[in-house]
Amino acid sequence: MSTITIKNVTKAFGDKVVLQAFDAAFQDGEFVTLLGPSGCGKTTMLRMIAGFERPTSGEIYFDDQLVTGEKTFVPPEKRGIGMVFQSYAVWPHMNVYDNVAYPLSIQRIPKGDIGRRVERVLEITHLGQYARRFPNQLSGGQQQRVALARALVAEPRLLLLDEPLSNLDAKLRESMRFEIKEIQKNLGITVVYVTHDQTEAMAMSDRIFLINGGVIQQCGTPEEIYNAPVNQFVADFLGKVDFFKGEIRDGRIFFPAMGGQSIAYGGPKTGRADVAVRPENLCFSDDGELSGVLETHYYLGDTDDCRVRIGDTLVRVVADGFGHSARHPGQPVRLAVRSCMVFEDDGTLEEMLRIQT
Amino acid sequence: MIKRGLLTRTGLFLCFVLGAALVFMGQQGQSAFTESGFASESAYDSIYSLSADVAEAWNGALKPELDRLSAQEREGMDSIARTLASRLFDGAGEGTAEETWQMLYAGYLTGGPKVTSAARKAVTALKNGDAALLRQSLIRCMLNGEEPVPAQVEKLVGGASGEERQAALMQALFVSLGSAEGDAAEHVSQFKKSVRGKEQQETALRMIGGRKLSGIWRVIVSRSRTVMLIGVLLMLNAVLLALLMRSERRWAFDVKWLVILLIVDFLLVFQLLPVIYMTIKGMFPEGRLSLSAFRRLYSYPLNLEALKNTLIASVATMLLGTAIAFPLAWLVGRTDLYGRKFFRALFVMTYMVPPYVGAMAWLRLTNPNVGVVNQWLRALLHLGSEPGPLNVYTLPGLIWVLTTFYYPYAFITISRAMEKMDPSLEEASRISGAAPLKTVLTVTLPMVMPSLIAGALLVFVSAASCYGIPSIIGTPGNVNTVTTRIVEFVSLGQQGMNDATVLSVFLLAVALAILFLSDVVLARKQYITVSGKSVRPAVVELRRARVPLTALVSLFAVIVVLIPFATILTTSLKTDIGKGILAAGNFTLANWKTVFARGETLSCLKNSLIFASAAATVGMVIACVMSYLLQRTRIRGRSIPNFLITLGSGTPSVVIALGLIMTMRGGFGVNIYGTAYIMIIAYLIKYLMMGMRTVVSAMSQIHVSLEECSQVSGAGWLRTMRRVTVPLISPSIAAGWFLIFIPSFYELSMTTLLYSSTTKTIGFQLYETWTFTSQPMSCAMAFGILLIVMLLNLILNRLTKGEFSI
Repeated sequence: MSTITIKNVTKAFGDKVVLQAFDAAFQDGEFVTLLGPSGCGKTTMLRMIAGFERPTSGEIYFDDQLVTGEKTFVPPEKRGIGMVFQSYAVWPHMNVYDNVAYPLSIQRIPKGDIGRRVERVLEITHLGQYARRFPNQLSGGQQQRVALARALVAEPRLLLLDEPLSNLDAKLRESMRFEIKEIQKNLGITVVYVTHDQTEAMAMSDRIFLINGGVIQQCGTPEEIYNAPVNQFVADFLGKVDFFKGEIRDGRIFFPAMGGQSIAYGGPKTGRADVAVRPENLCFSDDGELSGVLETHYYLGDTDDCRVRIGDTLVRVVADGFGHSARHPGQPVRLAVRSCMVFEDDGTLEEMLRIQT
Repeated sequence: MIKRGLLTRTGLFLCFVLGAALVFMGQQGQSAFTESGFASESAYDSIYSLSADVAEAWNGALKPELDRLSAQEREGMDSIARTLASRLFDGAGEGTAEETWQMLYAGYLTGGPKVTSAARKAVTALKNGDAALLRQSLIRCMLNGEEPVPAQVEKLVGGASGEERQAALMQALFVSLGSAEGDAAEHVSQFKKSVRGKEQQETALRMIGGRKLSGIWRVIVSRSRTVMLIGVLLMLNAVLLALLMRSERRWAFDVKWLVILLIVDFLLVFQLLPVIYMTIKGMFPEGRLSLSAFRRLYSYPLNLEALKNTLIASVATMLLGTAIAFPLAWLVGRTDLYGRKFFRALFVMTYMVPPYVGAMAWLRLTNPNVGVVNQWLRALLHLGSEPGPLNVYTLPGLIWVLTTFYYPYAFITISRAMEKMDPSLEEASRISGAAPLKTVLTVTLPMVMPSLIAGALLVFVSAASCYGIPSIIGTPGNVNTVTTRIVEFVSLGQQGMNDATVLSVFLLAVALAILFLSDVVLARKQYITVSGKSVRPAVVELRRARVPLTALVSLFAVIVVLIPFATILTTSLKTDIGKGILAAGNFTLANWKTVFARGETLSCLKNSLIFASAAATVGMVIACVMSYLLQRTRIRGRSIPNFLITLGSGTPSVVIALGLIMTMRGGFGVNIYGTAYIMIIAYLIKYLMMGMRTVVSAMSQIHVSLEECSQVSGAGWLRTMRRVTVPLISPSIAAGWFLIFIPSFYELSMTTLLYSSTTKTIGFQLYETWTFTSQPMSCAMAFGILLIVMLLNLILNRLTKGEFSI
């Protein structure tokens, strides 16, 4: 229904630049997530799309319509957006029905139509039986769904969600994740979702914009970002990862801190490198290239979280929980590397991994 | 456990019995006093001290002298004493010798034959040794009529013979004891003042002679009402404790209850007792339920007028004030109005300006004849020299001044609610398609409605119980209100006092009803919202309206704050208040010099500073204790003092003062009328809540875990308090102190009723100067007060690192 184009948007509060030259285009019907550590500027971007903040410079288009620009500014109420707030912002002085009907009554839609549409959206959000209740009689998850219903009822061209699940408990968070995704798919609307929770982002998004320090680090599908991070920060932020200093020569990567052991490398890079390995990409294998000693391991049910000492280095391995009882600390093991990510070592690893706020 | 419970119950029972015993003793003392026929209980004090003097002189000087005599001589002396004593009154010489001597001595001290001062001097000038010699020769003279009279007392005795001679010699003997000097002389004159008439004197002398007045009995009689009061309090405390323990189902004493009881007792005596007594007096003027006083009072047209004026003025002030406060609060709190922080500080500041200062300013501005605004308007509209067009001495004038003074109460309440409100609630409305104005009406207004109502009611009650403004504006214009009528009635003798009481009961009823109502409103509809991470409050862009609205708010600020203050300042610098300040020779600093060079002003200022500091300090001690009890303990009964303190702050000032006047004159065992204590206590009762609320809310924001963490780290309770809790709440303790200090400092309504010549305060002095002496001078004082208050505010701001200011 709507594409969003953000052109070179910069935002500063006083001297503090919170977003730098943000360029992005969100496709129609796409579920886009702005992901990043807190303070990275993602909420500010969302609020600029909503029209609660004005950028210091840059433009925002809905389809072809300029909504925020040098001289143009469409106030939030004229943008036709639905939005769910982190605090739900369900009005405590109205019951569920009135809360949800509010956007329609503003548009002066006939009462009968309002009733039908509210009922439908309450059905979608599983709130049908709570229409007459007041917010203080609802649980957090139910309030959250009221906020969602209110955001959806006017059939907006764009739905903005600002960390909508962060106030819910873990179980509810997981189920709401799928409910929101399901609703988005069924209605086919464009969604911009802000979160600092990488699992949430991975589970729901078509595309993720990973932001740090007001700068987009990488954008792409969850798979792209997870498997082919463009820099050390992205690799580190998404999923678990360990970095090792290595040196590439003769088609192998040598690790000085692992007593000079090495693994095969088929890539084009040579010289010093930061090698990032995800613990789940290491596995115990009798013909593995690295040899070491199992130091400790923790049984987590589905997985067995192991630490293996190779030379002076402690390497984390996430293995199948099934094999826990067969492994014992002190036992010599061999490790195979299924895949790893190699970044040029320009001495900025520490700097790259720092979360900029 | 059972044993301990038993012990506690026994203790409570004993406490109750002790209380009952005290009441009984007090009653005994009271009836003994009634029988004695003395004019006041203080007679017992003077009799007691005189008796002590007499005993001392007897044991120290007279008895050794007499003991040295032979048995025969001694008998002779005793018989002379008996003879002389029976001249005092019948039967005075019938007791033992010692009794007779003492009675005689006391009788001579307080009313014996006159001694010329020359003779007295001659005798008292003697050194100790010489005095003893003199006494010996005097005794010899008395025993032997032929002995020549010692030279020192020749004049005293003169040519008297027989009994007269003996009497004169005895007088000389007593004078030589020297005990009618210094302290003793003071005791004698007190005795003469409090014991009058032959019969009373007889009773008193008998008491002295018979040593019938033991120290305890004297205390019981002379303080019988106080003893009864303490007894009643003890009984009440025992019953209260028993009830608390019963509801707790644990018969064990907790030290915290002691603290609670102390505070409760204080409030019972100084707050509840006066108000209840006053109410009863109003309802039962002749000892039985009778509304005749009400009927009489309310059929009096001037009073009806006052009632009507009060209601109209308060309701109008409430409506107008709230109508101003809500848009202001919204503009300042939620929009991108220019200088919103400045405006906020400015409007809140009005809160700490004494109301009568505003009244004075508006009087200067809109006096129908010489008001500055009226002069301008007449010149501008070519109205000629008729008075007007504005007249402050009217009901609308009163309403306007009350409004400019009390709208900040609503403004602060509403602003606070808006600050606490999650801005996402308004953003959600905007994103749902509602324009800013629609959002205000459908979301913001309903959300702050409970606070708005509470603020409005606060304005109503404050306006209804205000005395400073109507006394300055209403009285000259004959616009009477209930408060001005009350103060006027108080000065009109007993009947006036009765009328004032009845009007006060009305005012009290209104205030308490409103207090209750606003409590209900706030308790029922307090919205608690889950708030996410703190976002800066959403700023509504005013866009095109930004400049005009800023101009409008500025205009309001100029009219309500700047012009009145400037008027006060310029008036204080004028010689002729009818002319402009820049007119030739009209500018002068003389008013300032005169006022602040006057000793009276300075002593009033000193009084105000002392009383206000005392009230604030005692208040903050109570506030801290109460905050701890309310926030950190689950002790039963902790809400009782809290309730009483809230009630006190809701009681109109004039009612508090009138109640104190009626009960604190000794009738209930406490006599602090006309002292500094009565004023400090009045301030404390009225303003304690302000200080307490500040500390309570600060403490509620410190999570218990901070204290628990300190205790887990090994710090004891005291160290935890000192190192963690107190440092964290100290800014609010400072703020609370000033919140009690500032209004006490410039208080007028209660002071008007409670002051005495030695306890005048600066607020009252200002009022007097305004009414009787000179308006420019009082303006100088008013501006001085403003400067002091602003300075205090600045200190407060610094002290609390900008966290608090008024």
